[in-house]
Amino acid sequence: MTKRLLQGNQAVALAAVKAGLDFYAGYPITPASEILHELVNKKTVKVLQMEDEIASINAIIGSSLAGAKSMTATSGPGFSLMQESIGLAHMMEIPLVIVNVQRVGPSTGMPTFPAQGDILQCKYGSHGDYFPIVFYPNSVAELYEFTFNAFNASEESLSPVILLSDSYVGHLYETIEETDYPISKRTLAPLGTSNRHFTGLTHADSKPATSDPEVHKNFIKHLEAKQKKVSKKYNSYEYIENNESDTLLIAYGAMSRVAYDFKEDFAIYRPVRIFPIVEKIKTIAKKYNKIVVMEMNTGQYANEVERLLHREVKLLPILGGKIDLKEIASKLRRIKKKK
Amino acid sequence: MTKELTYLNYLKQELLPTQWCPGCGNGIILKIACMAMEKLNFQQKGTVMVSGIGCSGRSAGFFDLDSVHTVHGRALPVAEGIKLANEKLNVMVISGDGDLFGIGGNHLLHASRRNTDITVICISNAIYGMTGGQCSPTTELTSKTLTTPRGNVDSPINVQALVTAHNCFYARSTTFHFNHALKCVFEALQHKGFSFVEIKSQCITNDGRRRGFKNSYEMMMSYKETYKINNSTNKLEHNEIGIIR
Repeated sequence: MTKRLLQGNQAVALAAVKAGLDFYAGYPITPASEILHELVNKKTVKVLQMEDEIASINAIIGSSLAGAKSMTATSGPGFSLMQESIGLAHMMEIPLVIVNVQRVGPSTGMPTFPAQGDILQCKYGSHGDYFPIVFYPNSVAELYEFTFNAFNASEESLSPVILLSDSYVGHLYETIEETDYPISKRTLAPLGTSNRHFTGLTHADSKPATSDPEVHKNFIKHLEAKQKKVSKKYNSYEYIENNESDTLLIAYGAMSRVAYDFKEDFAIYRPVRIFPIVEKIKTIAKKYNKIVVMEMNTGQYANEVERLLHREVKLLPILGGKIDLKEIASKLRRIKKKK
Repeated sequence: MTKELTYLNYLKQELLPTQWCPGCGNGIILKIACMAMEKLNFQQKGTVMVSGIGCSGRSAGFFDLDSVHTVHGRALPVAEGIKLANEKLNVMVISGDGDLFGIGGNHLLHASRRNTDITVICISNAIYGMTGGQCSPTTELTSKTLTTPRGNVDSPINVQALVTAHNCFYARSTTFHFNHALKCVFEALQHKGFSFVEIKSQCITNDGRRRGFKNSYEMMMSYKETYKINNSTNKLEHNEIGIIR
């Protein structure tokens, strides 16, 4: 096994190639550009620099349909532009991997600073009901591993899988082991072999379009069931138990690395598959009187957790990309003291 | 004995008749595409049809081929992705003027710049037909539509200049000039590189009747009167149809 010192974004590119990436389309954006830079030098990957992120996602929809394992990478602004076509990929059931290296928003925000403002955008960004699988690793080694998982889950679920990262983890250098993880095979027959019709319209098997509400209801049910079935294989989370503490601190991505500093005083729960939420949180949360979600937004994941647990969840928003350990410590102390 | 209509083999005949309005030009262009593919002996295995959104967007679903009906304006990047992932495929796009020049205009610029080997057939009816008849990028100056009740104040987009700026294949024809349009598509399909065929088409329901035409026959006859064939030029005048390689 070779050990390598890699940047988070480089690890994503390397793992993608090992997972069988054939086609990449993207548009330069800070802090995700390194993925594009890495891939242009790989001989086994066709790389296309498109005119914008909308073109990028649509090009990989086309290439994936044509039989190529496909990926794009972007940051918040580009991810927003891609939303309509992410819905299309769910509707047409196309395997894709979309990497989102988050930065401070809204709008142009602070391009080089980390944030976690795209959590809800991952789940609800496109119109209509769909059920994405979203992974959010917190280290270079994990980015490497979960790039494999993202490709595998996308092939198994025939849907676009989102690999979240942030400008902190994406630009972090760590030593990793270059493991060859197992790879799931393509099940979708490529274009040009039959007479199928892929469409964003609600469609029945024999008809390109239908206005039958039953067909639509069944299709949405099918999407949800499919996601549940596939995501079971990837119940990834980290739980650091603490019998001395009555408070559970939930954090993910860059913020979870900060949370480790408080494991003396708090139990720590870190979801890696952030959507669909790993159900285990329900049993873990029962042990603790208080739950705090520390995230780099104003409570996007906290709301989702609160909704799932049906109990109050305290927020600790870290905004503007600044991670000040002293400030966080004092805020956490205050939350813990409050009844 | 009637001659067998072999071009129909390229269509899913169980879906016929199409859902388009009586008099619509889309059916004519569907037939032109089928006949051109038949002349070139395109096989089901190895040919892909892509479309965007609008009345024209429904075209792809009728072909007895693997077909992709994309979101609005994005037929070109999807087609490029398909072609670049598997260069052996014949990739065709059928879409409308609003889809290709309006919402998808940027992709037209860059697909022609990259000279990707795909063939685009544009059903250019100068109107957003499916949404009720709003002004489109190819609506003529002073023309009246739902959104230009006092006449269009903007000039139509110069597609010829856009596509030929990157030295790509450009052809213009109309639904009236059936054989000429067929020749245009036939040649475009054989062209290596980006090829674009703009076929002027009529929308009687949401355009023609507002402009005083009684039926689509009258609209097609206006094409006959307006357009002259000129196949030996580097630049088509506004009243000419022809092929620029």
